[in-house]
Amino acid sequence: MSSPFSLLRLPRVVLCEVLKSLSIGEKILLSLCSKRISTQINNAQFYSQKVIVNLDMLCQGIRVHSENNKDTFEIFPYLISSSSHNSDIHQFPIAGCSTPGFSIPTGIKIFWNNHREGFLYLIRHLLKMFKCNISADISYYNCDILQPVIFELFDLQVEFKKLTISLNGSEDEHLFWNQISNKLGLVEDLIIYYWVRYLFRPDFISWPQNITIMNSTGVTLRFLFACTSPTITLFKSLLDNNDLDVILRRWKTGGLLNLEHLQIQSELLKNNGTTILGMKLWDLDGMVIQNDDGSKKATIRVGVQCIEMSVTSSD
Amino acid sequence: MTSPASSSEVKYLIESSEGNTFDVSGAALRQSNTFNAMFLNIGADGPIPFTDYNEATLKKVFEYCEHSVNEENYSGPKHQDDLSKWDLNFFNEMDQKMFIDVINASNFLDIERLTSYCCERIARMLRGKNTQEMIKVITLPTAEELEAKQKVEEKKAAAAKKVAEKAAETAEKTETLEELPVQQLVQTTRNKLTRKYLSFSNE
Repeated sequence: MSSPFSLLRLPRVVLCEVLKSLSIGEKILLSLCSKRISTQINNAQFYSQKVIVNLDMLCQGIRVHSENNKDTFEIFPYLISSSSHNSDIHQFPIAGCSTPGFSIPTGIKIFWNNHREGFLYLIRHLLKMFKCNISADISYYNCDILQPVIFELFDLQVEFKKLTISLNGSEDEHLFWNQISNKLGLVEDLIIYYWVRYLFRPDFISWPQNITIMNSTGVTLRFLFACTSPTITLFKSLLDNNDLDVILRRWKTGGLLNLEHLQIQSELLKNNGTTILGMKLWDLDGMVIQNDDGSKKATIRVGVQCIEMSVTSSD
Repeated sequence: MTSPASSSEVKYLIESSEGNTFDVSGAALRQSNTFNAMFLNIGADGPIPFTDYNEATLKKVFEYCEHSVNEENYSGPKHQDDLSKWDLNFFNEMDQKMFIDVINASNFLDIERLTSYCCERIARMLRGKNTQEMIKVITLPTAEELEAKQKVEEKKAAAAKKVAEKAAETAEKTETLEELPVQQLVQTTRNKLTRKYLSFSNE
């Protein structure tokens, strides 16, 4: 069967089965063959597996991969001015427009007027094809490209596998934060890099599943008790033994209701005379404490300037 | 001969689009979920009309089913590399038109194993290729061709409805006969024969 094969003449169920057996990259490449094929692939989205779309700004590209990371494909949006010297360039239909691009061994390179537009169109194309979970790292050097993309994704209620934000306290950042703070429920893992010298303390209107704050000097007990994320990790905190005592007592009396795992790393957690639940810090290591109504228990692990608390149901 | 299938010896008559009929064993036919859903428990009164497919296609499909009767139970798609020599020959000797007809018939008859192998074979045509190479492999149909495809699918849906109606009709007849007392049944048959005899006499 060397002559061309009429793929779109196949019964819909058969076509869906064929698409299901292709890899992520093969599906993306096939979707670039024509608008009609792209539409058929979009219609078969139900059969498609979940993918993670990693907006990798260090490589200035998009990495699409399966949850187990075995099936990967890379897309690089380049500026259109750099496209003139390549003879392998073809027009690809992407999200309703036609754009030049060419294949590379690990994926494709596609040319746009600017990176921001490129990322937006490519992600729109991918969102129609797959059930996407996004992973993105927003920093000062890429925020002009990524912030509009993130807004659009939040507006579309797309789930984020991982969102990493570096906060530097700029005005733009305040605006950005205010626009996304009520959408953080869509985020599984939120990682915040906090620049200590800035005073901006972000308000949370919604909370992610897991929150990690890398430089958490600004994190107070008030913040901690307001947080509804089941997993909280605080690095470089300024919480001390007294604060830890308050946290554990609050938990025992029904505070931090959703908490499943808390990790605090702080230079101020010391094995000095200050007691926590009537004990010295190191004596807490390995202890299992129970809350007052007996419904939950928590195992405490103490390390050097670090404490971990894992909550389980008493049943 | 058509009757409810209980053993592999039972043969069913299949009618193709040309109006030709041919035998298929019950064991082979039972690989079709469409057949199982419509005829397995009630049998068929006369040839089973799969009249949307030509004789050559249906024979090819049931050749596969007859061959795989003795194979172990189907447990999901197999990689193309795992296909037997017989399977490979079966696919290799088909031209593209026949291959597409077989896919369509297998899809309608809902023969999981054959449909799955056909899908895998198509996927293999696309694997490891870039967009330009894929475009060379697949034909992109025109708007007219797509319209024609839609009409064919509508026609197939109508054919499936017809088959289902016939199955329901057969089931109704079977139930009616079962409900009649023996004496009444004898009388009904006698009346029919008398009418037939009279019509012959008049001629």
